[in-house]
Amino acid sequence: MASLDDFSFPRSLHPLTLVQQFLRSLPALLILLAPTILRGSAGETRLTLTFAFMYAVVVVPLIIIRYLRFRYWIEDDEVVIHSGVFTRRKRNIPMDRIQNIEIQQPLLPRLMGMAQVRLDTAGSSSSEGQLEYVALEEAQAIRKIVREFQRAETRRKVSETVHSLSPHTPVSAADLMRGTINGTAESDAEDVQEEDEEERVLLFSMPSQRVLLMGAYRFSFLFIVLILSAVQYLQLDPEELADLLFRGPFRDAADVVAESPWLYGSMVVFTAAFLSWLTGIITTFVQYFGFHLWLDDDKLQRKHGLLTLQEGTIPLHRVQTLILRSNPLMEWRRWFRLELQTMGYDVDEQGYHVVVPFAQKDTIAELSPEIRPIQWPESFHSVSPITIRRHFIRYTVLLLIVVLPIAQFWSAAYWGLTLIPFLALFAWLHYLNHGYATDGNWLFIRRGVVRRYTFALPLDKMQVFMTSASIFQRRLGLKSLSVDTAGSRSVNYPEIVDVPEECAEVLLKELTHRFRHYFEMEEEPSKRNRLLTDAADVAAAQNTHGPLSWLHSRQRVDSSANDTVVHAEDKNGKDSAELAHPPDRHVEQ
Amino acid sequence: MRMLDPAVRSVWMIKYALFTLVVTLIVGGYEITQLFSSNDRFLPVGSYTGLVIAVGALISLLIPFLRYKYWRYELLDEELYLERGILNRVRTVVPLRRIQHLDVSQDILEREFDLGKLIVHTAGTRSADVVLPGLAYDEAEQFRDELRNYITEDAL
Repeated sequence: MASLDDFSFPRSLHPLTLVQQFLRSLPALLILLAPTILRGSAGETRLTLTFAFMYAVVVVPLIIIRYLRFRYWIEDDEVVIHSGVFTRRKRNIPMDRIQNIEIQQPLLPRLMGMAQVRLDTAGSSSSEGQLEYVALEEAQAIRKIVREFQRAETRRKVSETVHSLSPHTPVSAADLMRGTINGTAESDAEDVQEEDEEERVLLFSMPSQRVLLMGAYRFSFLFIVLILSAVQYLQLDPEELADLLFRGPFRDAADVVAESPWLYGSMVVFTAAFLSWLTGIITTFVQYFGFHLWLDDDKLQRKHGLLTLQEGTIPLHRVQTLILRSNPLMEWRRWFRLELQTMGYDVDEQGYHVVVPFAQKDTIAELSPEIRPIQWPESFHSVSPITIRRHFIRYTVLLLIVVLPIAQFWSAAYWGLTLIPFLALFAWLHYLNHGYATDGNWLFIRRGVVRRYTFALPLDKMQVFMTSASIFQRRLGLKSLSVDTAGSRSVNYPEIVDVPEECAEVLLKELTHRFRHYFEMEEEPSKRNRLLTDAADVAAAQNTHGPLSWLHSRQRVDSSANDTVVHAEDKNGKDSAELAHPPDRHVEQ
Repeated sequence: MRMLDPAVRSVWMIKYALFTLVVTLIVGGYEITQLFSSNDRFLPVGSYTGLVIAVGALISLLIPFLRYKYWRYELLDEELYLERGILNRVRTVVPLRRIQHLDVSQDILEREFDLGKLIVHTAGTRSADVVLPGLAYDEAEQFRDELRNYITEDAL
């Protein structure tokens, strides 16, 4: 394996990168040329030649120059990358800022023994450094060098903290506690750990049958895009295609089907469903083949993919939210999927990382405490049933907005109104699947009818708390509560919609209180006295709002509580110091 | 609970009025071009422009007062608390330790009234930037300096 010395002077990429880049540029050319090659006229042939010429003069030299200009090496504490054809770019990435090193092996580079290395740092939305492509051993060596550097750095920081522990040096209690506690944990692990690749623990893996089964629960409409683009680019005649497909006995069957609109319609629906199911299986298999998830000290590592082999690392302390996903079909057989939302740096998955693609609920429940101490709730508190009415009205208004204008031109559209009972059903299902639960340091929010999400928000990663009440909600005495976390934007976000006003207020107060308490405990144990009054305040507030026992399923702040009670009531009976500390047991880098 | 600086109503009013003016110019311009076409008109010329002016005037006069009426904020021990909204009432609690960085901004109108905005950036996604408008500029800067003490180095 290459050592640090090999990287101390400028290196070029793997020479076969040229071949790979050239091959990769071919499809674009083919798509440009396809229509003219297939049915070209004289004028179009000239166009084709022009394209081909431009390709040879522009694209191929660009690939070569880019390769020649690209240099990378590792200095004392940073990775340096020089690149660029028109704009020269010199980039220095400090190694202790690198959060994630991802090694990817698409099919072709894999065959040539190459890999792509991506260096992600915090705070940038896209990958900061990208080596496309280097030899696989080289990629692994780079990863190892960066890891070792980070480990050494951590150790150095810890020893500095210990040095500064002399009684005369002003050191904040927070630094002190964080330093010592995390530090000891870290150095203990260090002694045991020689080779990180071998030390990692396999958390989860999926055999091929499981991947296929997972695909069977998914539907993908990718095939529509494929068919349409094939017809578009190759300029196929749909009728010719149909003649080609339906020959002999199929011809007669097709004619019979075409006779009856009902039969025709249901055949179309059936075929579409079947094709999407099939595509679902195939895409899932390609993406998740050979899925493995490891726990390596303070990082999760995962590897999967049939054609493109993907390897990624997720530092545990970057995890913001856990999301449990399913759909009605999956939930029926108790299948779930676990995703993590992290501070946005991995653009490919928009900050979402699938860590358990498909597993029984029990497996996930057993496995997720490895990520953070968590116990998924069995039951949820419902929101106000008035939400059914509100959603029904909302859906109906939407339907009317669509149907009524169309009905002006095409009276059959009035049949769309027969959907209204189903909207009522859907609103009811929405109510059934919406709820929340609190448990120690966690807030759980469940929502979604078809795509079902259960968000698990840890107290120490919450950012902003909000309640809102629209003019309609106020009339009905309802409110919505949402908690904002860091990570990436998405369509589905954790919000509790339509809870009774006073519940929302108390929940908000309880959350902010627990939030405050969490960090007080982490930072300054001397503040405990102050906490007592806070706890009493909240308890008093709760009493005025009636018996809201649902709020405090496990860890409730009792009015008679002293701080020992507050701490010791963690469900796992874990010791209080550990609870008060963020579960990321290591020093932030 | 503190309220905004009353002068912010004037700023908002002018902004709504300017917006109305722009829409009026667009609609009015369109109606002038219609003057020369011979089509039978359903409504007399100038009725759309009139409508825009009427609605715009109503909004400019009413909304700033209502917005001002419902805006509240307070700096608590460890949180910044905001309350706002005419139709949709929103309450936001920003824990001070979650503040990433702070901006004070002032646009051309606000400069006339010596007002400023305090923008509180958090790492959140949906409500990452919390804007507190209508503070006296000095006060906004003071507020910012006060809040700056709370910025912690929490790892995300």
